[in-house]
Amino acid sequence: MTLSYSFKTAVAGLKRNKSRSVLTILGIVIGITAIMLVMSLGQGAKNLIVGEIQGQVGSRVIEIAPGKQPKGPTDIFSMFSDSLKQKDVDALSQKSNVPYLSKIMPLVFGSESVVYESETYQASFYGMSDAAANMYNITVGEGRFLTEDDVKGYASVVVIGSKVQEELFSEGEDVIGKKIKIKGKNFRIIGVLEKKGSGFISFDNAMAVPYTTAQQYILGIKYFNEIIVEADSDEHVAQTIEDLKTTIRNSHNITDPEKDDFYISTQADALKMVGTVISILTLFLAVVAAISLVVGGVGIMNIMLVSVTERTREIGLRKALGATPANIMWQFLLEAVTLTLVGGLIGIILGSLFSFLASLSLSIFANLNWEFSFPVSAALLGIGVSGIVGLAFGLYPAREAAKKSPMEALRYE
Amino acid sequence: MLIQIKNLSKVYHDEEVETMALNNVSFNIKEGEFVAIMGPSGSGKSTLLHVLGFLDRHSSGEYLFDGKDSGRYSENELARIRNREMGFVFQAFNLLARTSVLENVKLPLLYSDIPQKKWDTLAKKAIEAVDLSHRINHEPAQLSGGEKQRVAIARALVLDPKIIFADEPTGNLDSKSGKTVIGILQKLNEEQGRTIILITHETNTAEHAQRIIHVVDGEIESDREVKNRHKADEEFKK
Repeated sequence: MTLSYSFKTAVAGLKRNKSRSVLTILGIVIGITAIMLVMSLGQGAKNLIVGEIQGQVGSRVIEIAPGKQPKGPTDIFSMFSDSLKQKDVDALSQKSNVPYLSKIMPLVFGSESVVYESETYQASFYGMSDAAANMYNITVGEGRFLTEDDVKGYASVVVIGSKVQEELFSEGEDVIGKKIKIKGKNFRIIGVLEKKGSGFISFDNAMAVPYTTAQQYILGIKYFNEIIVEADSDEHVAQTIEDLKTTIRNSHNITDPEKDDFYISTQADALKMVGTVISILTLFLAVVAAISLVVGGVGIMNIMLVSVTERTREIGLRKALGATPANIMWQFLLEAVTLTLVGGLIGIILGSLFSFLASLSLSIFANLNWEFSFPVSAALLGIGVSGIVGLAFGLYPAREAAKKSPMEALRYE
Repeated sequence: MLIQIKNLSKVYHDEEVETMALNNVSFNIKEGEFVAIMGPSGSGKSTLLHVLGFLDRHSSGEYLFDGKDSGRYSENELARIRNREMGFVFQAFNLLARTSVLENVKLPLLYSDIPQKKWDTLAKKAIEAVDLSHRINHEPAQLSGGEKQRVAIARALVLDPKIIFADEPTGNLDSKSGKTVIGILQKLNEEQGRTIILITHETNTAEHAQRIIHVVDGEIESDREVKNRHKADEEFKK
C-alpha cells in the first residue's frame, strides 16, 4: 500500500469521528500555539533590546572597569574598587602604549537630588567629557554639550535630560543659563538633551557634568568608576584590548593576569550577554509551554486506545482480508501522527497570528519599535515536535491494535 | 487436494479451564468442491472454519493447504495467503461504516501487491459480478441486508481467491435475500470452479452444497454427499 493511500485511509478513519478528532488535537494546538507565541515574542524582544544597545553605543567602544570580572553575587562589591586613577588614563593616552586608541574618557556616576527653587528631583548623573557625545550617540536638543575646557577648568556646568527638565521647570520655560543645585553646589545649565522617548537605555532621566567637577565637588573621590576607550576601527578592537591590558598591568605593577584589579568588556560582550539571557528566558518559557504538549500527547494516546478497542472488529476484518500486523500498526500510527501534525499546523497558524497581534499592539500602545518576526525555527520545531508526539504516544495503541488475533477481533462484540 | 487435515485438534485455555473445541478431526477437500459444515452452536464448526481460514492456529495435528504445511507459515505469510487465496463472507457482513461500496470492496487490494491504478477496475468488476453496479457509491447504511451481503461477496471475490469461506452468510437475512446469496455462491462454484466452504445450522441451506460435514462436540459425526441437491435458481422460478 502506498504512503499516500495510507494517509487517505488514516484521514478517512479520523473523519468517521470528526468531533472527537477535533477535541483530541486541542491539547496539541494549544501547546504549539504557546511555543510559537513565546518564541516569536522572545525573538522580538531580543531584536528590540539588542537594537537599542547597538543604536546607543558604537561597536568600537571598550569599557574598563575596576576590580575583578564579577563571577558571582559577592563580586559585585568590586564595582566600588578604586583601582582606576588618572595615571592610568595618562598611561593609556600615550600613543606608544595603545596605538589604535582614538578617544579616551574617564567616567564617574551616581545619583543625587537636584534642586531648582522649590522643586526637588532625584536624578542620576554622569561625570563625562566631551567625547561622550560621540561614544554614546548623545544629541543635544538645546544649548551645547560639555567641552574640553569645561573638563579642564572644573567648570560647574550641567547638561540635563529632557525628563529632568520637565520635572524641575514649567513648560516653555527657557532653562539655558539657569542655575540648579546639585549636592548644595550651583551648576549652570548649558544644554538640554534631545528626548529619546521610551527605550531601555535613555539619558532622559540623567545629567552630564564634567568628570573633574563630579569627582571633586559631588562625589569627593580621586578614582574613576570606569574608563571608556574607543578604538579607531572595528578591526583594531581586539588588539586595543590587549594593549589596554598590558598598559594597565604595567601601570599597576601586575605580573600575574590572575591578579588583575580591573576588567575589560566590549559592546559585543554586552550584546552577547543580553542576547544569551533573553534566549535562555525564551527557551525556559518554551519548555514550560512544551509541557502542555506532553499533556496533549497523553490525551491522544488515551483516545487512540479507546479507538483501537472500539474498532476491534474492523481490525479483525482487515486482518482476515490480508492485513499484516505491520499494516495495522502503521494505520493507527499514521492516524495518531496525522492528528498531531494537523494540530501542529493549526498551532503554528494561531501562534503566528497571536504573536503578530501582540507585536502590533506593543508597537501601537506601548510605543515600542517592535518588529514582528515569524519564528521559522519555532515553526519547524513545532512541526517536528508534534510529529514526534504523535509517534511516541501513538506507538503503544498501534502496537495493541497490531497484536490482536484476527479471530478474537472478529468475535468481539 | 486443496485442504488436507489429519488428526486436527484445537484446545482453548481459558482461565485454567481447557476446552476441546476440535478433537482429532480428519478430512480432505478437493479443489472445486462445495462443502457445507453443519452443527449446533458450540459444536466447533466456527472454530473449524477459523482454523481452515488461517484466522486461528490449531493446537495439534496436521493441516496442509494446497499441499503445504500451514504450521510452518509466519504471521505475514498467513496474512498473504488469506489475502490472495481466500475470501471471507461473515454473518454480520462486517462492512466499514460510512465508507462507500467501492471503497469497501477495495479493502483487500490495500494489502495486496497489485498496483493502485488497477484497484478501481478490479473492484468494479467484482461489484458487477454481484449485480450491484447501481449501488457503487452508496454507503452500507443505505443498503438492504441482502445487498450488504452481496457487497461482502464482491469484497471476497476481488482478488480472485481459490476458496471462499462463508460463515452463516444467510443468518441475518430474510429467506429471499438468503436464497439470492446462496445462489451467488452456487454460481461461483459451478461456473468458476471456486471451492466454497459454507457454515450453517440450517439443513435447507446446507443442502445447496455437494457435501455436508456434520460436527458435534468437536468431532465429525457424519460426512456425506448431498443426493437431492437444491438449486437456488430453480427455487426462484417456483
